[in-house]
Amino acid sequence: MTEAAAKDRPHRGTIFVEDAEVLDVEAWPAEQFIMRLVAPQCAAHARAGSFAHVTCDPALPMRRPLSLMRADPGSGVIEFLFKIVGDGLRLLAQRRPGETVSVMGPIGRPFTPTPGRRRPLLVGGGVGIPPMVFLAEALGPAARDGLVLMGSEVPFPFDPADSRLDVAHLPQGVVAAMPLMENLGVPSRLASLGGFPGCYPGYVTELGREWLRGLDAGALQEVEIFACGPTPMLKAAAALARDFGLPCQVSLEEYMACAVGGCAGCVVQVNTPAGPAMKRVCVDGPVFEAAAVDWGAMQH
Amino acid sequence: MTATTTDTNPLALDFCGLRFASPIVLLSGCVGFGEEYTRVVGFSNRDAGAVVLKGTTGMARLGNPPHRIYETPQGMLNAIGLQNPGARQVVEEILPTLDFGETRFIANVSGSTIEEYVEVTRLFDDSPIDAIEINISCPNVKEGGVAFGNYPEMSARVVEACRRVTSKPLITKLSPNQTDIQENARRCIEAGTDAFAVINTVMGMAIDAEQRRPVIGNVQGGLSGPAIKPIALLKVHQVHQVAQRHGVPIIGQGGIVSARDALEFIIAGAAAVGVGTALFYDPLVCRKINEGIRDYLGRHGFGSVAQLVGTLELPGAPAAAAGRAAG
Repeated sequence: MTEAAAKDRPHRGTIFVEDAEVLDVEAWPAEQFIMRLVAPQCAAHARAGSFAHVTCDPALPMRRPLSLMRADPGSGVIEFLFKIVGDGLRLLAQRRPGETVSVMGPIGRPFTPTPGRRRPLLVGGGVGIPPMVFLAEALGPAARDGLVLMGSEVPFPFDPADSRLDVAHLPQGVVAAMPLMENLGVPSRLASLGGFPGCYPGYVTELGREWLRGLDAGALQEVEIFACGPTPMLKAAAALARDFGLPCQVSLEEYMACAVGGCAGCVVQVNTPAGPAMKRVCVDGPVFEAAAVDWGAMQH
Repeated sequence: MTATTTDTNPLALDFCGLRFASPIVLLSGCVGFGEEYTRVVGFSNRDAGAVVLKGTTGMARLGNPPHRIYETPQGMLNAIGLQNPGARQVVEEILPTLDFGETRFIANVSGSTIEEYVEVTRLFDDSPIDAIEINISCPNVKEGGVAFGNYPEMSARVVEACRRVTSKPLITKLSPNQTDIQENARRCIEAGTDAFAVINTVMGMAIDAEQRRPVIGNVQGGLSGPAIKPIALLKVHQVHQVAQRHGVPIIGQGGIVSARDALEFIIAGAAAVGVGTALFYDPLVCRKINEGIRDYLGRHGFGSVAQLVGTLELPGAPAAAAGRAAG
């Protein structure tokens, strides 16, 4: 190995393994949980879009990847939002304050907002909400001319409130918002087919389309889409970006084993100038350019 | 070539002429091309005696479609499908970035034809790689892999052909998915293998009943993790009965997650022990296994790992001269 190669190893020592104490576990309807833990190194180094690989229970041989919803370097507290989809997260939800779980993180390529695109459109669906919260908080005032849209087919894992922030070009009566965003001064709206009051009665990406349609050409030039959620929603977000000629970054998920790039288990197919390639969600992602993803090859 | 002790570190051993600082070998397919786990603070390649690089073929391969992995009871299915950039790129672009002062690096060679195995072996022979593992047991590709490894005659032909083009230590990775692993081992020894890796994954399947579809994109995959440990232990015991007469060492592997597991494999006849899936749960497991082995050796009066290899006392057999007597 040459000396130059030895110096060129920025990847080394970037992921921390911490025994994280559970502070609290908040239960929301439809088996959704918000868990707060103490993991100072993860909290200090996390970025919007980062995830952590978490042991749910010693009885299970594998960890589970969870998007970070919040990470406070000051207090060392990290926050996950998850919905029970299998045995692992069912066991994780049973952890009680004072117990510890092993948190490996932060991991992955984060969202990288494009300079000059001052109207971010954040689209989060279901368990894709957490990284959108992280990104909105990270952007803060920089997102005030943008819009945060959350979609869910089950009750939201927060108490929606009518928005005080006007957003032009949205359908009449779509007023439900996420209070956290209101506090940031960032406009948000909610979409659901669940018939919840104030929500857009359709897909979250269609609500995004309504907003984009109302923007003039100059404003459209300033929009960039960020999305995380179920694959059909991400496909629709990618289509939305294509239709309006906008850059779009999506956060993907796939079954994951090592989470460090060692096993190539969590790949998605992307198109590169050299042809199709299998990219690892853990370290090549989880954030990818939507235009590069081969959506036809995606598993639902 | 045999595995023997070479220095005062009780964990160190000589494996086919290579010094391993620990009996732990990090397994092919779990640790990428040697650098991936160094992302983790506290992980070091120095905690392993050797690191086996990802399966490498003549041409670059995209590998299998997702899903490639799935958790099963006490185990995990995988069907990666030998995704790799091709042997030339591995030799020219990846090997120069590895620090051979940290550990021994072993190539893992695969192919669809005997010619491809030979071509890849030849490329690695002309490289700094420390040893070459012949993967004749990959369960996840349509051609080659286990199609060679499940038949002693075919296995021997691959080993013989690779033997001709390299003088580096050759390790043959044996499949558990075959009728008579001892006969296969015999033929591979005759064909010139220097060592064995026992076992590769056990073929398995998972079904999503709601969708009535296989979970794994490749339909079937290889099962690893604690679920296969008893199978692996028996295979190591069986291969050891053949290999010990020829001084051919074994890397025992399959479901090792603790020092206790590793010790069982060593007692069954493994000179070194493979760790793979266990890293996914605990990326810092190597240090714990090393510590546990060191503690055991001390408590039982063994001066080295080599003294413990194959000390299994079978019912009816006279007690082996091991432990304090040997130490």
